Amino acid sequence: MKTKSVQNKWSWLLVVLSAVALLAFGSTRDSGPRTQADRIDAITKVLACPTCSGESVYVSRASGAESIRAEVARQIAGGQRSDDEIIAYIEARFGSRVLLVPRSTGLDSLIWVLPVFVLVCAVGTLGFAFRRWKVVGSDSISDEDAQLVERALREDR
Amino acid sequence: MNETSYSRKRVAPIIASVVGALMVAFLWVLVTAEPNTTDDADSPLLGQPAPSVVTTTLNEEEFVLANRKGSWVIFNFFNSTCVPCIAEHPELVAFNGRELQATNPAEIYTVINDDNDASVRAFFSKNGGDWPKVRDSDGAISVAFGVAKVPETWVIDPNGFVRLRIAGMLTPGLLDEQLAQLKTQFGS
Amino acid sequence: MFFASGINGALGRAFLLVGIIGSLFGAIAAITSARQRDQAVAKLIPRFAVLVFAASFGAFAVMERAMITRDFSLEYVQKVGSYSTPAVYNFAAVWSALEGSILMWVLILAGYTLGVTYWLRKKMDDVLSRYALGVMFIVSLFFFLLSFGPANPFAVGPEGVLDGPGPNPLLQNHLLVMFHPPLLYLGYVGMTVPFAFAIAALITGRLGEGWLLATRRWTLFAWGFLTIGIILGSWWSYEVLGWSGVWAWDPVENASLLPWITATAYIHSVLVQERRGMLRVWNLSLLVATFSLTILGTFLTRSGVVNSVHAFSQSAIGPWLLAFFAVIVVVSVGLIGWRGDRLHSPGSIDSPLSREGAFLANNVLFAVFAFVVLLGTVFPLVVEALQSRTIVVGEPFFDQLTIPIGITMLTIMTIAPVLPWRKASQELLSKRLFWPAWCGVLALAGSVWVGATGLAPLLTFGLGGFAAGSALRQVVLATRRQGLRGLVGRANGGMIVHLGVIIIAVALAASNSFTHSQELNLEAGKVATFSGHTFELVDVVEVKTDNATAVKALVKIDGGKAYAPAITKYVLQGMNVGTPSVKTGLAYDIYLTLEPPVRQDENKARIKVFIKPLLLWLWIGGGLMALGTVLAAFPGRRRRNPTSPTSEDDFAADLLVGQ
Repeated sequence: MKTKSVQNKWSWLLVVLSAVALLAFGSTRDSGPRTQADRIDAITKVLACPTCSGESVYVSRASGAESIRAEVARQIAGGQRSDDEIIAYIEARFGSRVLLVPRSTGLDSLIWVLPVFVLVCAVGTLGFAFRRWKVVGSDSISDEDAQLVERALREDR
Repeated sequence: MNETSYSRKRVAPIIASVVGALMVAFLWVLVTAEPNTTDDADSPLLGQPAPSVVTTTLNEEEFVLANRKGSWVIFNFFNSTCVPCIAEHPELVAFNGRELQATNPAEIYTVINDDNDASVRAFFSKNGGDWPKVRDSDGAISVAFGVAKVPETWVIDPNGFVRLRIAGMLTPGLLDEQLAQLKTQFGS
Repeated sequence: MFFASGINGALGRAFLLVGIIGSLFGAIAAITSARQRDQAVAKLIPRFAVLVFAASFGAFAVMERAMITRDFSLEYVQKVGSYSTPAVYNFAAVWSALEGSILMWVLILAGYTLGVTYWLRKKMDDVLSRYALGVMFIVSLFFFLLSFGPANPFAVGPEGVLDGPGPNPLLQNHLLVMFHPPLLYLGYVGMTVPFAFAIAALITGRLGEGWLLATRRWTLFAWGFLTIGIILGSWWSYEVLGWSGVWAWDPVENASLLPWITATAYIHSVLVQERRGMLRVWNLSLLVATFSLTILGTFLTRSGVVNSVHAFSQSAIGPWLLAFFAVIVVVSVGLIGWRGDRLHSPGSIDSPLSREGAFLANNVLFAVFAFVVLLGTVFPLVVEALQSRTIVVGEPFFDQLTIPIGITMLTIMTIAPVLPWRKASQELLSKRLFWPAWCGVLALAGSVWVGATGLAPLLTFGLGGFAAGSALRQVVLATRRQGLRGLVGRANGGMIVHLGVIIIAVALAASNSFTHSQELNLEAGKVATFSGHTFELVDVVEVKTDNATAVKALVKIDGGKAYAPAITKYVLQGMNVGTPSVKTGLAYDIYLTLEPPVRQDENKARIKVFIKPLLLWLWIGGGLMALGTVLAAFPGRRRRNPTSPTSEDDFAADLLVGQ
């Protein structure tokens, strides 16, 4: 049996190593040049359509969104501005209502903080519950119940 | 009573009260929430130099906003099928009439938003309004001003700075009143 | 004609009134017969259930009749009816706006009430059954009142209207409008049934495991339809909205997803309650949350506080729904607090590395998932209430948070199917997970080989392969043991549902991360190429129908069949709707849209081409989920007495069967 478990250990090591190698290779390699269409898509995905409610410019077919998309395409074709600069340009014209991702300052940061907080609380509660179950399990009988049983046995006699 | 069962009995009401308090706060937010109305007239362009506008009018003349310095300029973003645009049109015509009679009149320009020349010409020939209509075929002017929905009316002062944005339909007298206020504030 | 047109409105309202009376007295009968153990009154309950169903069916039939006969005396028909709408879309126009949707809710709820009454026909002596039906009658009463009052579809409109604009053009574009809303509602409204039983159990104090098992199929039934409804909604979004995506984290989409998340959590954690008698409060809370979220979701999307592309109307029902939501939450939390002493369970969980532990972990993740979706949907409201400014929370926020949650869940799905109850040893796990792990590595290698990049998609593909291996292992073992019967039952059906979920996750990762698009200017006779395919514009044609004029660009892909993306102008609404055209394929879809402006006379068209990898597998995965749900509804191999709160140790049994 020892050879089998050793064999298993090496096979598992192989699994883990191949997975890590593939992941490292795949996630760091170049996905090819970014076309202009890709840049447009990336920028319009973080801009909100100003006449819709929560839709991105990428998604929306409204005329306001189409104009913004055309402007983004124009500026990318011009080749002078980076993605962030184009987004800043649009924000300077339309105001913050055109930003689809809440900023990480002030009240808005709560939207990022709260989920993490809830996750921590939930995992913490789970950990606490597991520890309490271990305590209960190890005791197996609470004092109250032990006394109950004793009393019942005494009466039975 | 041993400690564990005592603390257990306390847990449920505590959690229930916490949940209850959260619900009350949540409900308060929902109760005070109002249905989404149109955006306010704020714009990051107010007080800034107006964006550069170079385009052609329907009369095939060149239009450059920078050349209009020295006069108050009114930009009315317009579309011939938009209901509030149609509704506010008589007021614009009346306003234009009043301005033409005043000293140092404000210049009105219609910016055509997402519409074709023929429809606009037909609309104006039927409903009046003898001022230049400028083209915005690729939407660049609308984007430069942050205009997504028509009608919007913008006021630019003689030095080329954006002073006012009115989103939505113009009510009678509103533009005269606002323009007069701006003139006293920023000098004619 | 004039006499007939007045009838629909009056008849409809009469039916609704009967429904109000029927559900009111049904509730009274159910609750008094439960409290006073009155057998005679209990016999009335089924009659009221039939009456309520007949009333709701009558009202809905009258509404359809009014719509089909184009009875423009009714305000609702004036709003969404039209002579130019084709018959099928006209039938569906009834649920295209608020009032008709509430009427459909009333009908489906009455149907469920009747169904549950029939199912309980031999158990009507049981007080719990009566309370459950009482709750269902009360909910029915609320919706009948909504339909009679603020959301009245039978209101009489101004006279002299001879035709209407028809439903929203987006709802006249695709046949899915006939299926998606009713199927979604079957799931959404169906969540009332487990909720009713939860409340009844709390009132009677009978919180043991019997009623849970008994209502399992109802919950699964509703969950299955909710799943199908959500997937059909995504399919509709893909085929109709023209941005080539399937999910936009729109408030209405979120409203349908939230109860799905809590219901899925419940389906898993209730197994822990069955086996170990634990998590009773948690399960009850999940059922309460699921139903409350259906009401909250309806409030958010119909009251206008959160706008959405789906929000076809805003109306006065907001305060009613909010009040009902508040009542539900207060009553349920109060009941749980009151019965808290009875809910303490005797069991404990020995080890986190067990099936119970996996279910607990996945429940934590589902809870966080639901919280994130709810937070993102209502956060703009909170900010507006506190600081009076508008912010937008859109896709990037949801993606950034839900992708890690999804990947973690996928990780749990890799080992959960092979975890035994109580505790697992390392040797057991390493033996059972070995081949699934190699499946994962194979999937990862395959994706790297075809050119996938990016950590999140690659993790999804690798973990997906791993999890599919684990799920398939269970199914193969079960069929080896029992033949075809190995495919039915909770565990095996569940594994097939898992396979569906994995396929959907992989397809989403592929289509979201690796979509490529390009705009092409096409001229008749000239051929453009993109991504290894040729596109040739054959013609630009105009097609006129009763309600719309469509300009279609006929585009041949690779010299084969012509696909026709179009821009359709609905004259009555003054709205232009883009209709995409899709060439499906196993590896990827080619998705075409026609971009304005169209120069028909010059025979030129500007189209946008999207290459969407693995998109077809979203629907295949959805179909697999539906199939798995049906299989899970059948009774499987009974392993032990299902009502006993503790389980045998399956550890030894599994070893004996030779894995």
